[in-house]
Amino acid sequence: MATAAHAGHRLERRYARLGVFLIAPTIVVFSLVIVYPLLAAIYLSFFSVYTPTLEGEFTGADNYIRLLTDSAFWNSLITTLIWTVGTLSLQIVFGVGMALLLHQNLWFRSLARSLVLFPYFVSTVVAVLVWRWLFNDLYGAINHGLMQLGIMDTPLDWLGTMPNAMIGIILVGAWKYFPFVVIAVLARLQTIPEHLYEAAKIDGAGPIARFFDVTLPQLRSVLVVIILLRAIWDFKEFDLIYLLTGGGPVTSTQTLSLLVYQEAFALNEMGQAAAYSIGMMLVMLVFMLVYIRRTAREA
Amino acid sequence: MTVNRFMSTGVRRRSVLGGMAAVGAAAAMPRRIRAQETITLRWWSPQSSPEQLAAYETQMRNFEAQHENVQVVFERTSDEGYAPQLAAAFASGDVPNIVTHLPSFAVSNYWSAGLLEPFNDVIEMVGPENYYEGANQIYEIDPGVYAGTGIGNSAANMLWLRSDLMEQAGIDAAPRTWDQLRDAVGRMQGGGIFGAPLPYGRNSMTSLIFIGVIHQAGGQVFSPDLQVAIDSDETRNALEFYRSMREYCPPGATNYSWGESLTAFVSGATATGIYTGRVLINVANQNPGIADYIDCALYPTVSEDVPAWTFNDFPSVFIPRQASNMDVTKQFAAFLFDPEGYIQQLHAAPGHVLPVLWTISENPEYLDNPIIERYTPQVDLMAAAAAEGYNLGWESQGHQPNVKAGEIINSNAISEMVQRVVLNDENVDQVLSDTSSRLEEIMGS
Repeated sequence: MATAAHAGHRLERRYARLGVFLIAPTIVVFSLVIVYPLLAAIYLSFFSVYTPTLEGEFTGADNYIRLLTDSAFWNSLITTLIWTVGTLSLQIVFGVGMALLLHQNLWFRSLARSLVLFPYFVSTVVAVLVWRWLFNDLYGAINHGLMQLGIMDTPLDWLGTMPNAMIGIILVGAWKYFPFVVIAVLARLQTIPEHLYEAAKIDGAGPIARFFDVTLPQLRSVLVVIILLRAIWDFKEFDLIYLLTGGGPVTSTQTLSLLVYQEAFALNEMGQAAAYSIGMMLVMLVFMLVYIRRTAREA
Repeated sequence: MTVNRFMSTGVRRRSVLGGMAAVGAAAAMPRRIRAQETITLRWWSPQSSPEQLAAYETQMRNFEAQHENVQVVFERTSDEGYAPQLAAAFASGDVPNIVTHLPSFAVSNYWSAGLLEPFNDVIEMVGPENYYEGANQIYEIDPGVYAGTGIGNSAANMLWLRSDLMEQAGIDAAPRTWDQLRDAVGRMQGGGIFGAPLPYGRNSMTSLIFIGVIHQAGGQVFSPDLQVAIDSDETRNALEFYRSMREYCPPGATNYSWGESLTAFVSGATATGIYTGRVLINVANQNPGIADYIDCALYPTVSEDVPAWTFNDFPSVFIPRQASNMDVTKQFAAFLFDPEGYIQQLHAAPGHVLPVLWTISENPEYLDNPIIERYTPQVDLMAAAAAEGYNLGWESQGHQPNVKAGEIINSNAISEMVQRVVLNDENVDQVLSDTSSRLEEIMGS
């Protein structure tokens, strides 16, 4: 009996060693690509570092004091939150709406499902070039169309003044990323049991009641995950905003990512940029904790 | 039964295999040796129109023809993107061998950080006597040592005009003062044509053009000993002028940079323009219908008492200190001024980048160009203006070189000042006070 137990323990230890051996490559890669840059950023944030040479001197908590006392970080944080909430809300509304539409028996449904993914697949640079052309005051199709319809007399400045610039980037962001919501919601819609709808119909529920009483509760879990993931991704969005407005007018669309970039590469203050990015990471950590708690509960 | 044809000729298979191995090794070995000896030079520039790329191609192939085992590759950067790209390159040590066409203040900034190779050898190879007098003064940041050299001159804030629209509006001469300019653009605006494409975006063009406007008001950004001097009545006048011009600019000028401003004039959407001589080739290629009616003048000033102030980028050439194969890199840098390739490069956009060598300006091959022949007075005017031009790195003859100019431009402190006053209608005194503080902070960093 004791021998059998001993053999069992030995087997467990061997399995444990095998587990460590198998997971080691992942741990090494994870350490190299995530832990090292994170530690390097924390380290840099306590120095005043000139970016091109990466040379500098220890400044203690100065960069963090500036982060807390200077308005730049807080203004950019507010801008980031406005952008994130704005674009995410539209993504969810458009995404759920389109998914419901594509769930119906439409002609060319397969083609429509493929085409709706187009914005998500197209490169951000290409998408921004197209949208900048559409928004152009002199030759843009949007201004031209609105003037032809008699809605406006003169072209609208879409990206150079507020609040148009913020509305512009929110709209383009929603257009670019709503297909992600469509894919996820559509997949969930296809798994909702049909008998739930039949039961609701027997109870006299109309289309709107069926949506709120059956569809939405069934989508709840997937929507929570989508919202958390997209919130994290939108919060750190850089290229779309940088290419559309460059953070302007003044700093009205300068999100935290753009602030970090400007500090690191325009002002060559890598230490301050690292402090800003740590601050940004701490804010994102809130989203991550919610996501981890949520997925742990689901598991 | 299959017969081995080698065996049938009496040659043994072992011998054949041995021979093939020997031939293979012999064939591979020179390639390996060549591969080891091949030198690749990387050339960065933000100037990369198709015509310019063709000229660079000529220069690179000609140099390769003269230097066996040297390969030159061109890599694009951009006016708005070179700072982060070079910062990353310097930080990683993976630098290009040679960088051209960046403004002189970028050179002084990198030089002050010890990132550049002294350029005296290259200037000696080009021949100091071939340069216009004082052409390299802006690169002599430390006495006797040059951080780079000019690959050309530019007159970036020329006022471009349409003589046909001026005639229709009853305007018989180019405006000399701001009042005359406002009157002219007001009279030419209409029928879908705006008066001017001044930039109001948060970018380098707005900063650089507005620095010119401050000087055209009689002011300066820094005093000669580099104390911040932007909070002045002259800057207030400049902001007031810039605000007054807003109604003559397209709505989207709030986001204009170099490309949009150029296109607005070339396409005929605006009656005036503000740019270098690139306008000439772009009009010829993209809107030849107005080619007979374009002209240029020095940008007006607040009054006739204040002289014109031309913004000269002083497009540069420099070599990062970490660059590999320094000898051949310097030879290539000097080769860029070889007349055949240099003239083709200048002809890629005649009047846009103007020669820094007087020997080229007087070269019949340089003058033998349809654009230069057609617009000789305009090219001469730009050349003269550029020769007397300045930029934020060197605001006047009396100013010290400002090695922080690049960071000031990249910070957008000046374009944000313009936007706060013109677009947001904020209190001018407060904005100037804030801008002064930001400039002092950057200068002190």
